[in-house]
Amino acid sequence: MSKLSNTSALNRRKITDLFGQSISWLFSSITIAVCFAIIIYLVIKGKNKLSLDFLLTQPAATMDQHKSGGISTPLIGSIILTFIGIIVAFPWSLSTSIYLSEYSERNPVAGFFRVCIDILAGVPTIVIAIFGLAIFSNPQFGFLSSMVEGVAGARKAFGRSFLVCGLTMAVMVLPFIIKTCEEALKAVPASYREGSLAMGASKWHTITKIIIPSASNGIITGVVLGMGRIIGDTAIVWLTLGGTLRMTGHQPWWLPQNWWSALTNTGSTLTSYIFYTSPAGEVDMPQVAFAGSLVLIILIIILNLVVEFIGKSKSIQKEQ
Amino acid sequence: MSEIRTSARTPKLTLSKVKDAVMEKIVFILAALSAAIIVIVFIFIFMKSARIFSVNGLSFFTTKNFDQQILKAFNAPADKPVWDFGVLGLIAGTFLTTFGAMIIAVIAGVTTAIVIAELAPPWMKRVLQTVIRLLASIPSIIYGLIGLMVVVPFIKSSLITNQMQINFIKYFQLSGNSMLAGIIVLSIMVLPIVVALSVDAINAVPKKHREAALALGLSKWRTIVKVVIPAAKSGIIASVILATGRAIGEAIALSMVSGGVGNIPNLANGPVFFLTPVLTLASAIVNKSETMSFETIQSALFACGVVLLIMSTILSVFTKVVQNFVKRREGNV
Amino acid sequence: MDKSICVRNVNVWYGDNHVLHDVEIDVMKNRITAFIGPSGCGKTTLLKCLNRMNDLIPSFKMDGTILVDNEDIYAKKVDVLALRKKVGMVFQQPNPFISSIYSNLKLPIRENFPKMRRNEVHDTIINKLEDANLLEEVKNRIHHSAMQLSGGQQQRLCIARALTINPEVILFDEPCAALDPISTMKIEDLLTSLKEKYTIIIVTHNLQQATRIADHAAFFYKGKIEEQGPSEEMFLNPKSPLTQDYLHGAFS
Repeated sequence: MSKLSNTSALNRRKITDLFGQSISWLFSSITIAVCFAIIIYLVIKGKNKLSLDFLLTQPAATMDQHKSGGISTPLIGSIILTFIGIIVAFPWSLSTSIYLSEYSERNPVAGFFRVCIDILAGVPTIVIAIFGLAIFSNPQFGFLSSMVEGVAGARKAFGRSFLVCGLTMAVMVLPFIIKTCEEALKAVPASYREGSLAMGASKWHTITKIIIPSASNGIITGVVLGMGRIIGDTAIVWLTLGGTLRMTGHQPWWLPQNWWSALTNTGSTLTSYIFYTSPAGEVDMPQVAFAGSLVLIILIIILNLVVEFIGKSKSIQKEQ
Repeated sequence: MSEIRTSARTPKLTLSKVKDAVMEKIVFILAALSAAIIVIVFIFIFMKSARIFSVNGLSFFTTKNFDQQILKAFNAPADKPVWDFGVLGLIAGTFLTTFGAMIIAVIAGVTTAIVIAELAPPWMKRVLQTVIRLLASIPSIIYGLIGLMVVVPFIKSSLITNQMQINFIKYFQLSGNSMLAGIIVLSIMVLPIVVALSVDAINAVPKKHREAALALGLSKWRTIVKVVIPAAKSGIIASVILATGRAIGEAIALSMVSGGVGNIPNLANGPVFFLTPVLTLASAIVNKSETMSFETIQSALFACGVVLLIMSTILSVFTKVVQNFVKRREGNV
Repeated sequence: MDKSICVRNVNVWYGDNHVLHDVEIDVMKNRITAFIGPSGCGKTTLLKCLNRMNDLIPSFKMDGTILVDNEDIYAKKVDVLALRKKVGMVFQQPNPFISSIYSNLKLPIRENFPKMRRNEVHDTIINKLEDANLLEEVKNRIHHSAMQLSGGQQQRLCIARALTINPEVILFDEPCAALDPISTMKIEDLLTSLKEKYTIIIVTHNLQQATRIADHAAFFYKGKIEEQGPSEEMFLNPKSPLTQDYLHGAFS
């Protein structure tokens, strides 16, 4: 008959448990403190230069921080790039995910596709970047950028432009959107499909009118998160767009007749702007680099909030 | 009877059947294209780097001094291009920075995940998860910027002495851009991946296992260590593999902080081992990208891409293998 | 007959929900006591008070005294983990750990008896598997995953695991609810043989089961014990009309 308040065994065990828990709390506190510090540091460093003016002025190529202008061109560059990337990637991803989710039960070919797409998902963006450069430097794709005279008179495409960068971004973000769309489609209950087919609707009709609308929340989430990825990437921008501050194309670039020229020439994005103005870039103006960083983070936070909002409205719908 | 049957086949139904068949084909083609991309990537990158491998063979992986080779190739006359390259330094840099970052990330990440998932009160859970999620969304360029503005100067001012600089000046310049800076920045970048996925893995362990352990006289901490973590280990391992892939492929942030020269750190140098500037395969591509117009250098950088591509493919396949192995071993959960 | 557990004036709340009212019961040593009654009437709640598993629920509040071997288990200095070694539990859903059969038993032994030598641990594992009537069926795959066992075998494994800590009392929360009739029969036989060494309390919905194996029974209705006593008496001559109605299947 053992007593229930055997103090020595109790204390011994309590000490070892306490030790283990304390170490965990210690390590995680340090980790979390570092995380908080990063966020606070970014806000403090970036907020000084942040203003509406900053967002709307063009950057000026000077070494003087006070005359460095704003980030309007890089901001627009980011937006253009995201637009091109999503326009290309979204229909493509959606079709692929439709195939994988609706047309390919236990098909070995679909399994092979999935493996390929998974491998693509794991490829580092820098490799995708040089791949983009490799493909679009071919003279056949010269229409997407400008032609240059290469060494020994061989004609090559310059291989760098908004279009090239946007297409490369599409390749980068493709596996991600495929995965999220496929999950969204798979989450649609089987009863929806069965009900629709039982009423005589064709498979394609079922997919477009029933399944996709029902999965729309997940699909939109995937697209928005994909946008976040494109906005935040630097490796692809650096290699396929370059690091110029302004648009290089016929000026003024905002006139419609100059749009094609703007797209087939280079420019900058928020990410290349940050790189450019950091100590690692051409000019060393950390203040604007931090301000640009803050803008970038805020954009990404907004995108994340949109995703959360969509998720919440979905659960409200379900309760109703 | 037959009249009824034929009248059931209205032209409208046939049209939608045609549409069905057509759309099915279109969707299949687009899916095949998606799968084909990775094949095309392999082909192109291999093609662009083929000359390097045929000239150097296996010595590509065992020779060092990538930077001097780039310089030589850059300065070579147009009719006598230089094709000799060796990336041993880069491979060492990649391996060491990734390994160092992963050690920190796993220790810090798994303990943080345990705290978030098992030990923290509900309000703290929410705050911590928001912070982690925020950190996961920060683009790598910003980490590079912080590394450059905080970590590198800190290393320079507190760990590098003038004497050290003088001693090593003939090998490399000790400026704070170092392997240590790279490890620190990388570990913070991959930490959120480890934490988020480990928290998911721990939360996925069904409550009944915890109850069983507690009813057997185990304390809460012992339950975590002996029951919950082992049950979550496949998810935790998956997070580690994913984080490793991320660390290997990181180019921009590392190019800003890890130093621009492909040295192989020497343990015999003592603490300077960590302070040596290094280059990784990924950051080398960024670093030398300005000289890409030279065909020889371009090929060399594509060859680095080949190595990265193969590494990431192996990791992807490895993840699948691990997942299947664990599933089979645990039977029906 | 000795008393193993005494419950006096126990009231339990989950938040504002008053789920047990003035419960009083004695559980006899080396007997099988069954808690019977309709769903949601407090049987499992009382069961989980006896090894303080209810402590895990934040909204749990208790009033009253529970004595196990004449010690108040809710007293301030009580080591809850020592209590749980004395009062073991087997759950409704079999919950073996995701590891081998051998490891399932090795873990609680190693945790509770850290100084035990390796061959003693091994002997204990074999003995407990035998006590749980499982050894014959698994002796050739003792290092294989516990997940590959059938439901009934997994439950017997959980029973063997509960035996490794040498409890005096074992609580069973509807252990056969998820099992087929043959596995149920095997476990009922097991319980009958176990009562020689252990005190057994079983919560069950199955009246026939209670009739088959219980020595004592307590009928719970809406958080109160309506009637309790030797089971043969209660089933043949129930004193309360409510008990009579329940026994005749008027409600369940």
